[in-house]
Amino acid sequence: MGLTLNHFLILGAVLFCIGLYGAISKHNAIAVLMGIEIMLNAVNVTMIGFSFFNTVKVHRPDGFGNYAQYLTGQIFAIFIITVAAAEAAVALAMIIAIYRKRNTVDVGEIDMMKW
Amino acid sequence: MLYQYSWTVLFAPLLAFAVIIFVTRVWDMLSRPRVQEVPAHGDTHADIHGSIDAHHDSHDEHIAEAGAHSEAEHGHLDDDDDPKVPFLTPGAKASAYVALVLMAFACIYSWVLLINSVVSPDPTLVKTGYTVFQYTWLNLGNINYQIAFHIDHLAIAMMVVVTTVTLLVQFYSQGYMQNSAGYARFYSYLSLFAFSMLVIVFAQNFLVIFTGWELVGLSSYLLIGFWINKKAKPEEQRPSPASAALQAFVVNRIGDVGFIIGIMILFVSTGTFEFSKLQIAVLGMNKTALTVAMICIFCGAIGKSAQFPLHVWLPSAMEGPTPVSALIHAATMVAAGVYMVARTFPLFYAADPVAFQVVGWIGAFTAFFAATIALVQSDFKRVLAFSTISQLGYMFVGLAVAGSEYGAGPGMFHLFTHAFFKALLFLGAGSVLFALHHATHREVQDVRLMGGLATRMPITAATWLIATLAISGFPGFSGFFSKETIIGLAYDHQQWGLYALTLVTAGLTAFYMLRAFILAFGGKGGYLGGLWGGPYRGEGEVHESPPTMTIPLILLAIPSVLAGYWTGFFTYLNPDAKPLDIAQLLSLPDTWIGVAVSLVGLIVAYAIYARVELTKIEAFVQSRPALRTVHRILYNRYYIDAFYDWLVKYVLLNGICWLAQAFDTYVIDGIVNGVASLITGFGSGVRRVETGQVQSYMIGFFGGVAVLAVLALVLINVVK
Repeated sequence: MGLTLNHFLILGAVLFCIGLYGAISKHNAIAVLMGIEIMLNAVNVTMIGFSFFNTVKVHRPDGFGNYAQYLTGQIFAIFIITVAAAEAAVALAMIIAIYRKRNTVDVGEIDMMKW
Repeated sequence: MLYQYSWTVLFAPLLAFAVIIFVTRVWDMLSRPRVQEVPAHGDTHADIHGSIDAHHDSHDEHIAEAGAHSEAEHGHLDDDDDPKVPFLTPGAKASAYVALVLMAFACIYSWVLLINSVVSPDPTLVKTGYTVFQYTWLNLGNINYQIAFHIDHLAIAMMVVVTTVTLLVQFYSQGYMQNSAGYARFYSYLSLFAFSMLVIVFAQNFLVIFTGWELVGLSSYLLIGFWINKKAKPEEQRPSPASAALQAFVVNRIGDVGFIIGIMILFVSTGTFEFSKLQIAVLGMNKTALTVAMICIFCGAIGKSAQFPLHVWLPSAMEGPTPVSALIHAATMVAAGVYMVARTFPLFYAADPVAFQVVGWIGAFTAFFAATIALVQSDFKRVLAFSTISQLGYMFVGLAVAGSEYGAGPGMFHLFTHAFFKALLFLGAGSVLFALHHATHREVQDVRLMGGLATRMPITAATWLIATLAISGFPGFSGFFSKETIIGLAYDHQQWGLYALTLVTAGLTAFYMLRAFILAFGGKGGYLGGLWGGPYRGEGEVHESPPTMTIPLILLAIPSVLAGYWTGFFTYLNPDAKPLDIAQLLSLPDTWIGVAVSLVGLIVAYAIYARVELTKIEAFVQSRPALRTVHRILYNRYYIDAFYDWLVKYVLLNGICWLAQAFDTYVIDGIVNGVASLITGFGSGVRRVETGQVQSYMIGFFGGVAVLAVLALVLINVVK
């Protein structure tokens, strides 16, 4: 009983739900941000999982390394990590700015963009 | 040949109208000197200014102010409306001459036609008449709409009346209108009026008669409201000419609705407008439908001939110039209704007798009703107006009771004789008003301010007395023959109700006409026991009117006496009818009953008004409560005008118009506004969904994705 794709997908789904729950239910903007980061990483896990199991047969003259992985998923994951870092930086900057302006980081109270 | 060219009679007045409007009136207006505004004309000026700017306190102040503003204010007025006519320009006089010459031609031509057709009867003319003008207006499918004019004996008899009275009225207007603004315009309207009436006379089918009908309505509107700057006089219960004209127009339209409906019923049932074809076609028509159609058509006659309940416009129409009143009452307007019923006589006869019963009863009731009102009116012209309404009632009774052996004869005979003496009465009244206007320098129409005029204006008085006797049915005068024929026919046909009403009305007519005569021309202390001359109750020196006005009076006095002696009139209109037998008429007892009733009326009027002073009579009436009440009701014309005012104001404007407005506001606008506010409300409700809270969006978004995912899963499984 080895590691299969399903394990990756279930882990990703669980992580995504945890992150979603956090993003929806938390009042603190930083906690919401953390939830979003979890969701991003859940996606990363899924990407890596797909990438790992999506293999292709390689014919080499020496006979080694019969299977190779497609790297698209892994590259995506690296991009997502980068973007997530940038996003975290921008989001934290905004949270700080909002805190300075309104003295709160409660997302329930930050509702100027309505109607 | 003579008959084929009779269309020239019809088009002569139209030519006169065109020439005046396009040539002589333009000449008149161009050649008129520009008159400087001078304070001497302050009276008329004040009227004009008052109508523009309703308040001015001091007269002198006003004139000073008006002098300053005159240029600005009068600059936009039509030259014709300028009340300051210092003299008649050659253009204005030429207009009158054009109208007179052409009308004289038409008049002579129609007399020639009449005499020729009497002396040497043309069998075709008698039977079917000649079509003198025909033009296919429209051809739709197998229906042919034609503008066609034709003449027969009925048309010729009417033509003579119209052209003669119009000619004399136009001649007379040279004197009466000489100081009035719009002299040229007046003649053009008179010509148009004559043309409109002749269209009715010449009509071969309902389309043409309806066109003429509306043209008469238009020209009466123009002429009744001729003095547009004159104001209402509420203290004399007199409306302004402008509103009187409007009233005449609107009341006539009410009758016309019935007229149109009647024509449409006939057209739908028979497919033709032509009178000659209709005569045959209606025989195969449903009798009820025909009866309804004829009663509807009679509604048009009720409006045009001022029968109850649409009579109210005629007394108001007295606000027009008096020659116009003469024209309306004698020849052109009110006669149209009678003529139309006479023209459609075979159709009425083919319908159920109910149709003629309606005609007869409305006529008889109106005759009696109007005569009672005329008993107490103090306005000289208004007495005559109600007498016209009353006499028109007689004509309708005459048409209704005649039966097939006489046809339209008796009604038309009374129209024929009435035209002359009523024109005479009106022109005489105009002569009196003209003289009083010159004597008192204001408009006097109240008989209480007249009296004893006979010695001062003998020609007017003498001719007026002749007309009074004629309308009263005094033996030997024209009215006697025509009226006694009608009353006698009602008696012969055992129409006791109609007989009683017409008989009583004859007495009332004699009473109020002699009353009006004595109040104006006689009075206690005059010659002939108060009949001729006496004390004059007004101010100033009254003189006889100029010859242009007295000549028509004398000319009209002749047919007022002699028209009744044309004994062949019934045979002329209907070859099967017996001629009027004067010897037989004089031998019948019911004739002498009628004469006796008329004489009683005359004697009572003489006894009261010539033997007692007017102030004493008034005091006597006012001292008796019953008399006073009756007098007040009659003087206010049974309050019918007030009732119509109330009806228009409260039922029409506040009732029906209010309902219509409510429907418009609440239902029509409600639908439009409702849709709009529904969408707005929905939108403003839905926008609440956008709370501005990111987390709620997130719920929506992921919830939606979840729902879609579940849906997709289910669908995939189901499809599988």
